[in-house]
Amino acid sequence: MPDSAFQLLVEGVVDYAIFMLDPDGHVVSWNSGAERIKGYRAEEILGRHFSTFYPQEDVIAEKPRRELESAVADGRLEDEGWRLRKDGTRFWANVVITALFDRTGRLHGFGKVTRDMTERRRAEQELLERRRLVTHLVEAQELERRRIAWDVHDDSIQSMVAVGMRLQLLEGRLPEEHAGTVRRLDDAVRGAIARLRALVFRLRPPEIDRHGLVRALTEYLGDVAPGWGLTCTVQDGLEREPPNDAAITIFRIFQEALANVHKHARASTVQVTLSTEDHGTLVEVADNGIGVTAIPAVQAGLEHFGMLEMRERAETSGGWWTFADRPGGGTAVRFWLPTTVP
Amino acid sequence: MTRILVCDDDAMISEALQEVLEAEADLTVVAVARTAPEAVELAERHSPDVVVLDVRMPGGGGVHVARELRHRRPEIRVMVFSAHADPATIVEMRHTGVTEYLVKGVPNAEIVDTVRRLGRGPFGEL
Repeated sequence: MPDSAFQLLVEGVVDYAIFMLDPDGHVVSWNSGAERIKGYRAEEILGRHFSTFYPQEDVIAEKPRRELESAVADGRLEDEGWRLRKDGTRFWANVVITALFDRTGRLHGFGKVTRDMTERRRAEQELLERRRLVTHLVEAQELERRRIAWDVHDDSIQSMVAVGMRLQLLEGRLPEEHAGTVRRLDDAVRGAIARLRALVFRLRPPEIDRHGLVRALTEYLGDVAPGWGLTCTVQDGLEREPPNDAAITIFRIFQEALANVHKHARASTVQVTLSTEDHGTLVEVADNGIGVTAIPAVQAGLEHFGMLEMRERAETSGGWWTFADRPGGGTAVRFWLPTTVP
Repeated sequence: MTRILVCDDDAMISEALQEVLEAEADLTVVAVARTAPEAVELAERHSPDVVVLDVRMPGGGGVHVARELRHRRPEIRVMVFSAHADPATIVEMRHTGVTEYLVKGVPNAEIVDTVRRLGRGPFGEL
């Protein structure tokens, strides 16, 4: 490539500020990218010292001088940090300074390539912030569930147990024509206690810390599935254990999916499959029931509250959730959560 | 007459229990404890035949009481009456010699039968 063509290329590049400094650090060339990123036209900046681009705190700390010294010592220097535009605003820059020596080894100057990374940095920080918020949200939800579980367990259930005991006493003291009414009351109380206990069981924190996600899911299935007449299998294809907040979210979505199978699917088997895919965890809860399109609420175009909750949980964590009829019959709920840093 | 100590920190439960047991001619409640230390103290003072014991109680819980009683008063029979049916607690209680474990919400008749059976002692004697 002839020198002139090369010069045209360098001058025409707009995504990178590419310019040269003399051995003392004064700007001696300028391209379109430099003008776009830093805001100076060539005639405004040629001849000025490159420390102009650094924030005052860096100038005081003599960062520009040290960077040139490092480039001379090591041949090149790469740095990420704040730089100033002409209008005084800051941008996050990736800077490479290359020391240029002539054939005799004399320092001829420096080549400097600067990229504006502000947007990427903002996106990275937003992602970090979002993950932090999701972690907090999951913790807060779990704390709230635990509180509700304790309240129901220690207060509501105890009160109803005491009421039931007194109703039975009362029943024994009443003539038969009234005893029947009290017996039915006691039955109603007993049914309510059983339902509240099931609620407490669902609310309790999953024991993921101790033995991992798959074991927690398997144990939960072992606890509830026989009572619901479901035969379950778990296929563990996880290469990595997801972090705790993701594991809790997976457990909660799985719980809701299983509850839906119990309530709506009229299924006899459930297969749970977990795999590590695409920097995340993919879970499928598949049943052999009547299929999602046969469920009245879905037919009526109503999205069940539990479905909304599952989808919301997955999407809040940056993942997705979906459900569909399986080709061989039944329903498959699938969801994916990002669980590893790309 | 079988003499019973009721231990439960929930007043509604302990009052209902007391009423259920007192309704039987051959059973009498000699004291009601609200905390674990109180349960141990009242058991030593009243020497009941049977202690009806909640698992979750302030001051060390039912497990503490069962352990202490086994050590200090091995002749006293213990029936756990608990809202918890988790296997770990049941195993822990079994280690302290407790054989009867009823989950709150069972019919009164079952409570009465169990207490009566324990009161008769290991050989069915009165």
